[in-house]
Amino acid sequence: MTPRRTALAIVIAVLIAALLGVDPAAAQDVGVRARVDSTSVVEGGQVVLTVEISGPSLGEVAPPDVSGITDFDIVGGPMTSNRFQWINGRTSATRTYSYALRPRQTGSQRIPSLGLLVNGRTYRTEAIDVEVAPAGSAGPPGAPQAAPPGGGIRGGPGRSQGITRPQPAPADAPQVRIVADVDERTAYIGQQVTLRVLLDTQTEILNLGMKDTPTFPGFWAEEIKLPENLEQRRVQRGPESYSEYTLMKRALFPTGTGTLMIPGLTYQIQVRRRSQDPIESFFFTPTETITRRTEPIAIHVQPLPAAQRPEAFSGAVGNFTLSVTADRRESQVNDAVGVKVKVAGEGNLNAVNALPLPDLSDFKQYAPKVSASTSVAGDRMLGEKIWDYVLIPLAPGSQAIPPVRFSFFDPKAGVYRSVASPAIPIQVARGPEGSAGGTVGGVVQSDVRQLRRDIHFIKQAPDGLMDRSRPFYRSRWFAVLILLPVAADFGVFVFSRTRHSQRANARQRRERRARTMARRRLKDAHRRMAPATARAFYAEVARALTEFVAAKFDTSGAGLTHDRIEDFLASRGAPDEERRQFHRCLEACDYARFAPASSGSEEMRRTLQEAEEIIVRLERSLST
Amino acid sequence: MRRSLLALGVLLILCGLAPVSPALATTPSELFQGGNSLYEQGKFRDAAEAYEKILGYGVADPRVLYNLANAYFKLGRLGPAILNYERALRLDPSDQDARDNLELARGQIRDRIEDAEVPYPVKVMQDHLDTVPPDSLSAVFLCLYVITCGFVACLPLTSGEGRRRLLGYAAAATGVLALLAGGALVEAIQSRTAERAIVMTDRVDVLSGPSAENTVLFTVHEGTRLEVRNRRDGWYQVSLPNAMSGWIPSGMVERV
Repeated sequence: MTPRRTALAIVIAVLIAALLGVDPAAAQDVGVRARVDSTSVVEGGQVVLTVEISGPSLGEVAPPDVSGITDFDIVGGPMTSNRFQWINGRTSATRTYSYALRPRQTGSQRIPSLGLLVNGRTYRTEAIDVEVAPAGSAGPPGAPQAAPPGGGIRGGPGRSQGITRPQPAPADAPQVRIVADVDERTAYIGQQVTLRVLLDTQTEILNLGMKDTPTFPGFWAEEIKLPENLEQRRVQRGPESYSEYTLMKRALFPTGTGTLMIPGLTYQIQVRRRSQDPIESFFFTPTETITRRTEPIAIHVQPLPAAQRPEAFSGAVGNFTLSVTADRRESQVNDAVGVKVKVAGEGNLNAVNALPLPDLSDFKQYAPKVSASTSVAGDRMLGEKIWDYVLIPLAPGSQAIPPVRFSFFDPKAGVYRSVASPAIPIQVARGPEGSAGGTVGGVVQSDVRQLRRDIHFIKQAPDGLMDRSRPFYRSRWFAVLILLPVAADFGVFVFSRTRHSQRANARQRRERRARTMARRRLKDAHRRMAPATARAFYAEVARALTEFVAAKFDTSGAGLTHDRIEDFLASRGAPDEERRQFHRCLEACDYARFAPASSGSEEMRRTLQEAEEIIVRLERSLST
Repeated sequence: MRRSLLALGVLLILCGLAPVSPALATTPSELFQGGNSLYEQGKFRDAAEAYEKILGYGVADPRVLYNLANAYFKLGRLGPAILNYERALRLDPSDQDARDNLELARGQIRDRIEDAEVPYPVKVMQDHLDTVPPDSLSAVFLCLYVITCGFVACLPLTSGEGRRRLLGYAAAATGVLALLAGGALVEAIQSRTAERAIVMTDRVDVLSGPSAENTVLFTVHEGTRLEVRNRRDGWYQVSLPNAMSGWIPSGMVERV
């Protein structure tokens, strides 16, 4: 490509860019920042968030996305303001969006990073932390509600408090001054204070601009628009005559109490310079840029009186009227009725969040659509807020929308005022059969709703009063009933042990005497040892043997069979030989008892001797 | 004599028909009726005085405490209201009205304090136990205890292995139930005798030590319930369910 062609291409590109209105530098030099008027606030107070977009030129700017603000309620805004400056041939444009935010809870709350679209590009602000102190506390230093006693000046050293004075101009400087003034120096929180900035000049003003974007910490500010062409007035100040222009008007609403400062506003003014050189005066326009700053103004903000504050008061300060209208007076079940609640008047209605209808049990009520608007009459801000409710009649008959109440504080009279709308009768007819699902006989059933909560009513005492400070577990009866079963158990235990011991003694005694008793019986048998009394002899020997075993094992001798005797003897470890000898002797006795003829004296003597022997042996073996 | 008796009878009947005035009432029952009558007329302050007088007689009936709490609630004095609901519930934990009113009153105080987290089954059990009067728990425990002791007493008197084993099992089962009831009773007694206090003034600073020179740790407001952990020379060491603790002057609170 030749240099000529390159130069041509550049020229064409610049022309196209100029025609399309695209400034290649604009997008790069855009600055976005967010700030708050105070990083500390007391509970219930407000902070003003300002998002400022500045650059050489601003094209399409979308408002910031504030949906991410969850720690605060947005009670006002956005208020938009634009500023354009041309200084030394360079332009700069600034657009600000301001929001009034009320914190939802105490502690450290965060305004997150907000995104906004400028000329198709997304920019993000920095997140801002705000300390929220509990209401009634002294509040963090710097919070609007915690102004130091006596009212410190926030404007910095060297500025006088609350006195608006024109700055003395140097003797050779052009006679230009800028004055800021307010209509009220003492106001209630939420009351409008109108700020007016005036320019008095004796010379021609060529250009004029503000050095910084005006900020009003501790106030919610609304711009009062001025006419496109500034109106000129002639005023006489002492011997001097001036041209006066109104440069700015702001409606300021204090968001905290104490002494709040309206900071000074700095203007840069380009004026015609007086030149001693006639050639310069003839051919050129000698100019000079001078700076003028207004004095800070102190506003003493008092809290709203706590006494006689109506229950329905929700923070509106000003003078308002209330109207409630229904779009129809006759309706049918399930046929919607629109009710419009409108509050309008002089003052800031941003603080009024909700104006609910009273509880209507015979209507289904939907969340209202809220719209708000502001306008200016003279220097006063007028607000209007409308809640559009949709009510669905649930039951036929003569229904009524009860009076709606609205309370506000009248700062001029210094009193709370309440207004109420009249009740609106609504005649509800039965709907056509089957017009709505779930209706029976034209009546729609709905859940029973709790309208209000209150404590349960007082109690009666028909059975008389009774001191119940001493519970049962602290009474003597409780202790007695705890100890009694234990004592009974102990008694039973002692009784059982005693009885057991007694039984054991009797058994031991019987066992000890078993051999003696057996010997005695054998003696009796010995006396009957004759053929004539053979049967008695053997019976006595057999009894001596069985009674011996019965005594040794503490059981009854009657019915003691051979098998049981064998079990007993085996259980105590009697040797087999002795057991066999015992059974042999006993069987011999049984045999002889039932066949006495076969037994002679010698036989009886041997049986007796054997019985004595086995008893001795068993006594020995059972004792070991 | 007959005339005097007749006049006395007429006087008694007239006294019975006339509405009871707390100023003239002498017995707790008359004071109670008078207090209720004043309450129904909306004279909550006078009603509260009548109920307080009953308590001065030493008659700690939960209904008196409940009505007194209601009167204070209507007067907007949440501290005394919550205190007396708590006291009424200590005497009669099964009173659902008092529980509801206490919850409503607690919902209106400034301080919101989260309770310490407990597992759900434990919370359900605690909630149920909280509603059972200690006297009922005492009766259940005593019944099970006596039955267990009866089974134990029968053991040595019973012969036969099978019967003794059966009695042993029965004694063990009722013994376990008696232990559970006893545990619940101990828990209920501990809960009702725990030292608690209600903040009676608008706000109290809780300090790091028992003197005014100490650091303010946090602030509590009227109606907040505090656990009293220690006492020293007109100061209470108190704690909240969320483990925050400190010292406050004893005159700022009233013990439950």
